[in-house]
Amino acid sequence: MGTSTTFVAHPPRRRFAPPQDEVLQLRGDMRREDSSVTRRQGSPFTGLGPVFMKELADHLSSVRMMVLTLFVLAFGAFPVASSLQTLRTVVDPNSFLFLRIFTLEPEQVGISFIAALNFIIPLMGIGLGFDSVNSEFNRRTLSRVLSQPIYRDALLLGKFLAGLATFAVALVALWLIVFGAGLLLLGVPPRGVEVARGLGFLVVAIAYGGVWLAIAMLFSVIFRSTATSALCALGLWLFFFLLWPQLASAIVSGVAPSEIRSLEEYAAVQDIAMALMRLSPGTLFSEAVLGLLSPETRTLGPMLPAQMRGAIMGAPLPFDQSLLLIWPQITGLIAGMIVVFAAAYVVFQREEVRA
Amino acid sequence: MRAPLALLALLLVLPAFLTLAGAQAQGDPAGVKGLFLLTDYPSQTVRAGEVTTIRVKVKNAGLLPQPLALALSGVPASWKIDVLGGGQPVGAVMAGVNQDVTIQLRVEVPKEASPGSQTVVLTAKGPLGQQASLPLTLTVGTEAPAKLSLKSRLPSLRGTPRSAFEYTLTVGNDSGRDLTVALAAQGPANFQSSFTEGFGSNEISSIPIEPGQTKDIKLKVMPPRDVKAGDYPVLVKVAAEGATAEVRVTLQVSGQGKLALSTKDGRLSGEAEIGKTSTYTLVLTNDGTAAVDDVELSGTVPSNWKVEFNPKSIAAIAPNDKKDVQVLVTPADKAIAGDYVASFRAAARGEQASADFRITVTTSTLWGIVGIGIIAVALLVLLGAVARFGRR
Repeated sequence: MGTSTTFVAHPPRRRFAPPQDEVLQLRGDMRREDSSVTRRQGSPFTGLGPVFMKELADHLSSVRMMVLTLFVLAFGAFPVASSLQTLRTVVDPNSFLFLRIFTLEPEQVGISFIAALNFIIPLMGIGLGFDSVNSEFNRRTLSRVLSQPIYRDALLLGKFLAGLATFAVALVALWLIVFGAGLLLLGVPPRGVEVARGLGFLVVAIAYGGVWLAIAMLFSVIFRSTATSALCALGLWLFFFLLWPQLASAIVSGVAPSEIRSLEEYAAVQDIAMALMRLSPGTLFSEAVLGLLSPETRTLGPMLPAQMRGAIMGAPLPFDQSLLLIWPQITGLIAGMIVVFAAAYVVFQREEVRA
Repeated sequence: MRAPLALLALLLVLPAFLTLAGAQAQGDPAGVKGLFLLTDYPSQTVRAGEVTTIRVKVKNAGLLPQPLALALSGVPASWKIDVLGGGQPVGAVMAGVNQDVTIQLRVEVPKEASPGSQTVVLTAKGPLGQQASLPLTLTVGTEAPAKLSLKSRLPSLRGTPRSAFEYTLTVGNDSGRDLTVALAAQGPANFQSSFTEGFGSNEISSIPIEPGQTKDIKLKVMPPRDVKAGDYPVLVKVAAEGATAEVRVTLQVSGQGKLALSTKDGRLSGEAEIGKTSTYTLVLTNDGTAAVDDVELSGTVPSNWKVEFNPKSIAAIAPNDKKDVQVLVTPADKAIAGDYVASFRAAARGEQASADFRITVTTSTLWGIVGIGIIAVALLVLLGAVARFGRR
């Protein structure tokens, strides 16, 4: 990575909107150019700041963002209001009262706040990212942007980070509303460990949103049509939510031995099923949130009776142990986000941008 | 004047007594006929200023039942003698054939009555001339002192500091009147004693005893738990109207060891990492009064865990002594993080102690580092892509 900080310090950069004939020529030796040893000068992240700020401003002032936020608020407010109602009337012996706002499944609603978020966060990520690149194509503004001293790297990363920041702003607002409502209606201040677990939940939720944002951006890079990319992203979302659980259990029943003889075999089959389910980011998110917001969760997989003996059930795990328990899930979400973004990056870099 | 009267009465009653004695000697009471007035003690002591009750039986042997008028003669002036039947003053009795009727003479002797003998004659007279009379010689005596007796059936009992020592005592009233006997026991400090009636469960502090009767009471002594081995005397005292009696009972308390299992700071929880051995220090204390011998240590831990003690057994712990024991706990390799209960026991002859230990099992942070490594690999992939596909 270079160290230069200003545009002036660079030698004039090759523009990505060259005259037509030059482009044709360029297309011819694209391969060669890529594989050649020509190194670019300067940091690939030059111009990341302006792109990020502009995109963020666009996002935050857009009507779409308003709609999405309202959508999330409406989805989140209903379970939270109901669970607060329940918590106010029913004596809950749980010592993590504040976290119960998130995890309680109110009778009237039948869906907890985190379950609602599990469903709605992908929609928000898709909504923020599905047209981030191809709309610039379609409006023919991409070549103009790239004619500025801005690398494609910076453009894509700036767009991604701006989307992630927008998403984080909305989520933090929602989180604060929930905590504030809890303070107001429960009248009990949250304990430090509850706040820490809540913040961990926030991080996990942002990573989860980042995965879907990266997926949406990948489709927006692959497909020129915004409708197609939106359709593909939404299709993947529906696939993971509706089809994948059935598909996973079908695969497991195909793989599993016809007769399960021992507990160990049963546990092994369960492990396969869990591993398949964990390919879906939604599963990773719900498991990570379960570990964070339900401190009494000891394991996410099946628990053998031998492991249960002598265990004090219902005793909460310390925060660091809960983090260790869900660390693979958090890792998976963050690494998945990075890998999908890397894929989008590779596709974007190999794409041709024309005026 | 009194002497001839008494003589007369004697003459009157004598044939009756003789015939009765003769009948008893023959073993044929049916042959005896007549009317009799009977009492157990025709000559007895009364006390000035007090009321004495004399029971008299009117017996009709083989005569037709007739109302018999009762009369008293020879009652000294200022004395008051009432004839009572069934608690009421009566003037006549009627006894069936071969049956008897009990009446009481309630003799009220004035305080100022002078010592000496008085003879009172009770006469029962029927309309057909049958008649019986009973001379009673009442001697006004000085007040006989109350007298009590106290005996213990088993004066020495043996037990541990935790046992209750129960002594059965017999209190006797050797005086001529009802006494309410107060009970007291003097033991060493902190010894708790209580009295109960023979078979009752109520604690009592005093007990009424009729003249000449005895009553069984129980004394229960509880020594304090931390009492040392030895003999402890308890002095039992009964008292009534200036009369006292006492008896000494002994508690032979044998020492007993008492084990307690805890840790140095009393905290019964600890942490352990999966698959790694953690060491906790337990403290065995003997709170008892005798040494505890052959203490064996054992523990119950969740399955597939390992538990070891160092030392495994202790030869003896003296009273008020402490011994440290190291316990090494290794959670199973497949244990799940969380809280578990392990119970440790120390058992000696007749004595045992146990403690539940809460062990918080933690997982190693190795996988956390692996996770960070995975993220680092993902970032490296991204950087590689940047290096490979980055455009000039």
